[in-house]
Amino acid sequence: MLLRLLKSERMKLKRSPVWIAFLIMPIIPALLGSLNYMGNSEILTSEWYSLWTQHTLFTCYFFLPIMIGVYCSYIMRIEHNNNNWNKILTTPVSKPMIFISKLITVSRMILISEIWIAILFLISGYAVGISSAPPYQSVIIWCLLGALGGIVMASIQLFFSIYIKSFALPVGIAFAGGLSGLVFLAKGFGHVWPYSLMAYGMNSNSPQQMISSEYAQFAVICVAYILIVTIISSIVLSKKDI
Amino acid sequence: MIKLLKCEFMKTRRKYIFLTAIIITAAGLIWGLHGEYSGFFQKNGWMVFLYQLPLINAIFMPIMSIIISSRLADIEHKGIMFKQLAAISEKGRIFDAKFIYGISIVLLCCLLNWITVIIFGYVNDFAGDVPIKLYLLFLLFTIIPTIAVYIFQHTIAMLFKNQAVTFFSGIIGTFLGLFSMFLPQIPLMRKLFIWGYYGVLQFVGLFGWTKEMRYDSAYFEVMNIDWTFFTVLLIISIAMYIIGRYLFSRKEV
Repeated sequence: MLLRLLKSERMKLKRSPVWIAFLIMPIIPALLGSLNYMGNSEILTSEWYSLWTQHTLFTCYFFLPIMIGVYCSYIMRIEHNNNNWNKILTTPVSKPMIFISKLITVSRMILISEIWIAILFLISGYAVGISSAPPYQSVIIWCLLGALGGIVMASIQLFFSIYIKSFALPVGIAFAGGLSGLVFLAKGFGHVWPYSLMAYGMNSNSPQQMISSEYAQFAVICVAYILIVTIISSIVLSKKDI
Repeated sequence: MIKLLKCEFMKTRRKYIFLTAIIITAAGLIWGLHGEYSGFFQKNGWMVFLYQLPLINAIFMPIMSIIISSRLADIEHKGIMFKQLAAISEKGRIFDAKFIYGISIVLLCCLLNWITVIIFGYVNDFAGDVPIKLYLLFLLFTIIPTIAVYIFQHTIAMLFKNQAVTFFSGIIGTFLGLFSMFLPQIPLMRKLFIWGYYGVLQFVGLFGWTKEMRYDSAYFEVMNIDWTFFTVLLIISIAMYIIGRYLFSRKEV
């Protein structure tokens, strides 16, 4: 059933140009962050690690959260329009599956973005002439953990978008969430606040750094958040008139 | 036009659009003003703000513009109301009315932001009186780029039914503008995009800061104001408005 739902989600998004933004957006920090790195190479001495912060700093706190917010709003808007909720909720499909299929659709996009960020990072590193070997293992871990944190954010955004029919308001919440993520990281609560998890996972020069022994704990917190939000959203879909 | 504006007001009642704008302004202010103001920062407080607030504005003002313009246009897109509106009024006038209504909200927030900054300075006992001439210039240099960005966002929001287009184009622009402010070695970069003009029109610079000495020998200085590019921005804004209005008037809604 899930596969069919996923297929239907894919069909709904067919010819929609939204994915292009996820491809264009990471190019900006890759180009400009690399230029900034070259301009300040005497201060930024940690080579690949310095370049990573240049690439991901603003992306994690502002731009990726907003992009996730827009994507979630867009996916839910398809159902808000033309009474489509009535149609989809009267089909013989379980409510959690509807939410999960939408979450998987957004998660796929987040994962593609993270892979694209990693590819651009490696290309930029070679282009600016970093001679040491790239930290492949770290990059893979950062991107995977970042994607997991991003999925937590996406699940919450999807939940808001079920409730709020407006397109822009959930995006505003995503923006505020990204900002709050910065604050919680600064206060040392980045590992528990859902909007901090992506930046924390991606290790983007946040005031709070993650060590390798915390990876499992991070994953458990993320999965717990995703499960809780999925359950709440499924209850809302079953009980509430939307 | 008054009727159209009143109509806009009625349509947005209980939609908390102004409240949304106020919340974004408040978030920007909290971020821009938080910190400890003592020593160097209290002595140079007024100049510190003129130096650091353009960066905060470059993030918050475009995002406010995206959200407000999109919400105003989306009311009509969602209800397929442009057809009816076009039947009772000329399309260009609808474009004007929505623009005036939206930009008034955004500019009011700009003003509120500016007043709060000055009050904050007095409350924190900044040295000397507020350099009012510089602050008026700062207000002007916040308003003009914001109008330019709003015109762009308003046009996209009115032209495209899919509001994701409005958001993505705005976010990518904001990102370009923000990054261009960190690349003073490429001054052309910030002049190429309207979002970078908060940086082009920044007129206070920090000099003498070093990694070792920190703020010991640092000082602020008023730099040359780029009036040429200020005029360029004005011309771009007017051109964008005329083109946007024309495209909307010609569009099948």
